Amino acid sequence: MNGFRNRFAMLALQNATLLLFAVLIIVFGLMSDRFLTPVNFVNIINQSSHITIIAIGMTFVLLIAGIDLSVGANMYLSAAILGVFFAGMPPIAAFPLVAVLGLAFGAFNGFMITQLRVAAFITTLSTLFVGRGIALYFSGNKMVPFSKSVLTFGRTAYLGIPSAIWIFALVLIIALIVLKLTTFGRQVYAVGADPDAAAKAGINVKRVTFAVYCICGVCAAVGGLVSGSQVAVASSTFGFQKEFPVIAAAVLGGTSLFGGRGGVLGTVFGAVLIQTVENGLVMTNANPYIYPLVISVIIFIAVFTDSSRTTVLERLERRKIRVEPD
Amino acid sequence: MSAAASVAASPATGAELLEIEELCKSFFGVEVLHKVGFSLHAGRVLGLVGENGSGKSTTMNIIGGVHQMDAGRITFNGADYRPKGPRDASKQGIAFIHQELNLFRNLSIAENLFITEFPKLVPGLPFIDRGAARKRAAELLAAVDLDIPPTTLVNRLSQGERQLVEIAKALGAKAKIIIFDEPTTSLTTRETDRLFDIINKLRQQGIAIIYISHILDDIMKLCDDIVVLRDGDVVGKALKTEMTIERMISLMVGRNIDQLFPLREAVISAGPPALEVKNVTQRGTVKNISFSLRAGEVLGVSGLMGAGRSELARILFGIDDFASGEIIVDGETLTKPTPMICMDHGMAFLTEDRRAEGLMMEAPIDQNIALSSLQAYAGGFSHKIDSSRLKADVSKMSNSVQIGARDITKTLVKNLSGGNQQKVVIGKWLLRGPKVFILDEPTRGIDVGAKNEVYKIINRLAAGGAGILMISSEIEELIGMSDRIMVMAHGEIRATFERGAFDREELLRAAMWDGIRSGAK
Amino acid sequence: MTTVDVRAVSKSRAQAGWKRLLLSEYLVLVLTVFYFAVMWTIVPEIASSETLLDVLRAMMPLLVVAIGQTFVLIVAGIDLSAPSIIAMASVVGASVLTGDGGYANGTGFEIIAGVFAFVAVGAVIGTFNGLCTTRFNMPAFIVTLTTMMFFSGAAIWYTTVHTDASSIGNLPRGFIAIGQGTFFGGLPFSLFVVLVVGGAAHFILSRTVYGRWLYAVGLNPRAAAVSGVPVRRVIFWAFIISGVCAAIASILYTGRLETGTPVLGQRILLDVIGAAVIGGVSLFGGKGKIFWTIFGVLFLTVIDKSLQLMGLPIASVFAIKGSIILAAAVIDAVRHRVLVRG
Repeated sequence: MNGFRNRFAMLALQNATLLLFAVLIIVFGLMSDRFLTPVNFVNIINQSSHITIIAIGMTFVLLIAGIDLSVGANMYLSAAILGVFFAGMPPIAAFPLVAVLGLAFGAFNGFMITQLRVAAFITTLSTLFVGRGIALYFSGNKMVPFSKSVLTFGRTAYLGIPSAIWIFALVLIIALIVLKLTTFGRQVYAVGADPDAAAKAGINVKRVTFAVYCICGVCAAVGGLVSGSQVAVASSTFGFQKEFPVIAAAVLGGTSLFGGRGGVLGTVFGAVLIQTVENGLVMTNANPYIYPLVISVIIFIAVFTDSSRTTVLERLERRKIRVEPD
Repeated sequence: MSAAASVAASPATGAELLEIEELCKSFFGVEVLHKVGFSLHAGRVLGLVGENGSGKSTTMNIIGGVHQMDAGRITFNGADYRPKGPRDASKQGIAFIHQELNLFRNLSIAENLFITEFPKLVPGLPFIDRGAARKRAAELLAAVDLDIPPTTLVNRLSQGERQLVEIAKALGAKAKIIIFDEPTTSLTTRETDRLFDIINKLRQQGIAIIYISHILDDIMKLCDDIVVLRDGDVVGKALKTEMTIERMISLMVGRNIDQLFPLREAVISAGPPALEVKNVTQRGTVKNISFSLRAGEVLGVSGLMGAGRSELARILFGIDDFASGEIIVDGETLTKPTPMICMDHGMAFLTEDRRAEGLMMEAPIDQNIALSSLQAYAGGFSHKIDSSRLKADVSKMSNSVQIGARDITKTLVKNLSGGNQQKVVIGKWLLRGPKVFILDEPTRGIDVGAKNEVYKIINRLAAGGAGILMISSEIEELIGMSDRIMVMAHGEIRATFERGAFDREELLRAAMWDGIRSGAK
Repeated sequence: MTTVDVRAVSKSRAQAGWKRLLLSEYLVLVLTVFYFAVMWTIVPEIASSETLLDVLRAMMPLLVVAIGQTFVLIVAGIDLSAPSIIAMASVVGASVLTGDGGYANGTGFEIIAGVFAFVAVGAVIGTFNGLCTTRFNMPAFIVTLTTMMFFSGAAIWYTTVHTDASSIGNLPRGFIAIGQGTFFGGLPFSLFVVLVVGGAAHFILSRTVYGRWLYAVGLNPRAAAVSGVPVRRVIFWAFIISGVCAAIASILYTGRLETGTPVLGQRILLDVIGAAVIGGVSLFGGKGKIFWTIFGVLFLTVIDKSLQLMGLPIASVFAIKGSIILAAAVIDAVRHRVLVRG
């Protein structure tokens, strides 16, 4: 009996975010007949794609219990480089180049964290400033316009699907394969669960750590490119404080800040959920000033249920030394 | 050579797989292994028994590559064997299954089995062949009779099932020798039976097994050969058929109590009990615990690891909850005790885990000693600490428990020896002048000299009228120090002995013989 | 032979000196002074009394926030909500104070009521943060991240309810004086506020039971609980203190700007945490002093000011500032390793 009630409570807790999502869709659907349409659905995915891409990279970092505050700066730096130096290049050539630079940004973070053993929080806090500074230097503190080819790319739909979604889908598939189907991916989870045990089991913890920051760097750069190609110009606040919605999306999708738990599909879900709420609020003509309020309340509820779940789990798993004759 | 060692080891059936000769090991100048030697044969189970500190774990840690030997020789499969580390040992075919399992609970069984070497889809590329991993995992699980899909998360497994996964991992690494360290302490009866079936199966496959346990019943049931260690010496080697539990116990204990323990008179106090416990029960840990502790009395608590002693202590001090029963301190019933409430009633608690719960390792000595008493030195609206009075009392306390450190305001606790660290914890509690002091393994991991000083402190405290509940795994210590000894097994009090009726073998028998198995049924 | 020995001795003595400096808690102050001296040769104006006063004025509100943050960091928490508390307190306080139909306008108590409103906002948000972390076991990072998002938004919304403008102005003179006033011929009044807050914080941390408990909880919460420290209550109050400190900083900012603005303090979050960490406060708890935090804030403010004086573009300011934070963090990591080696 007790066990049944526990299991029921766990089921509800486990799927609380999903329930929340369903309720929101129903409510918005009832309030606006434009909300539940395929066009709007594509629109939501399109608008959230840059955040989703960066949040996928962040998920890798969070899975090993790290953090990367520099993603917003990396975004801006990538966009600035694209606009200033690669203006003449077609996107197909420029994007990979910029992504490699993003990787270098991430590699620097990873180097500081694994080799010089500076805390991830403070490393990425300082590269946030440095990255933004370099980007401002390149842009001359002015709006950076993008080349026509980039804008055309950003506004074109291939096979009826906007380019941003194609890139997002590509990143997602690669991330899924890496995380689920490679030894490295499984080791990321192992390192996050228990770095000491991972080292004992023969996993190269430093290498895994370094690699996840590289991945996060690439994703941040790609996110910057996608966002840049959508908005036409990068102002000096481009990507500013984007680290927060990115982390929020990952956490909302069930990724733990303490490592070892979560995944990229959840993160996509979290990012889309945030965008859905925003979109729904637009569709229902809500006061724009309450958007952040509603969104933060939803994130709060999701994290709250997650913590309750952890607490319940801990209570259930309490060490028992004496066997009850059930 | 002791008489016990002359018990001849009969020729074994299987081929000799591992031979240990004259193994020596010292830690910080203290010899913990003295020319230990025995051999292990394929397809046989060797039981290794001995009291805590007899050298079992050190021996196994050397074989498992955790420690390096100082002198001696190990021959494995006919070749010299000197593992560089745990990884190296497991690569060479020796698997060590620790009490604390080394599994990732957020991953599936299959992933745990292959975390460093997954089967690949295409050789050279990093992609995992999940199908192959599943299939191979299923085979390994079948070998340990675990009928669970390999995709199940380890999180969902019971302790016993996790143990079997560890064994499967050892099989996957093609282990020729598997070492078990106290594998049954957290298993249910059924899980234990299952584990034994698996071990028997492994034996038939020609794998050699070293089985360490305090539960002598199990040793008799399972092992072919038995080695008894005491104080770093092998004091007995025999076939199971030539050994009895009685004999094992007497070999393990074997020595007279030396002059380690200061003399003390048993105190019989007619006054009210300092601590009274009535029918305290908590599901899964302790059951129907009742006793009373008189002022000025040292009440020893004996029992095996996992008997529920520490759990009882934690309940008494309000750290863990209890479901029913009564705890009465100084005539007052504590309905919902917390450490703070217990402290207000004059209780103190020395934890068994100094590192995690006893000390702020990164803080200096004086701050650690002061931590529990701060409020007594503070007053006024702001709770400002009277630092000169506190400083004087802390330094007096530090002298009185004889902590050897130059400057107690500068020396960090992490830089002290185990003995001095323990004195810091004791000093912290003595500063409160406790009336009831619960000591959980007060001399664990400290050297003989410091032990003696701790004993003197305990005696002084008891003579001053405090009631002391002393949990210890060292039977001799309990015999030397206690006025009465309670023996716990399986969460219950099994027997109580009065001073004068103390007998090592009786105590061990109460804890082991009528053991954990029968209690569960 | 002897010369070699002498050189070796003096070399090892120099090494010991470097090591002592590296391990000294005044390292950041020394670095600041050194940096200041170097800058003096490049931009002599940095030593003018005007610039120094400017540094002082710029430091004050930041310092109050950082002092509050220090409490939370000592218990191994983090408070990301400080900027939103500043913004929310600013607009709520201004709505009480303002001459354009403020709640307390014309009552004669408007300043007291206003200050009370500021502090109440900080205390309420701090209480919420504390409750979530201690009662519901939610990670401090996420709790304060969501409160930051919520109240940053709420501050803007609140402003729109009260005015068509982007901020709430027309604040009473007496209130503005808190942020702008001077005493003793030129010292900013905010200095006085900071001295009181800093003095109280220093007293609490170093002299009271609560202060010792804070460190104990940060160093080893389990050991603290077993030793009778009310761990949850200690953490709870740390968040309230942080909230109230942010609110006090908001008073200073609002008074200086003469309006209640919902975008106040938006960019100071990472500066505040960065300053505390540079000063030597550990993100992992148990380590920190008010003086360290002051040194850290001074360090960052002096850098900011010097870069501004040099007329560098914002780009270089960001890049240099980031590099300096990173360098300080690397020094800290090295220092930690030296300490571990003993």
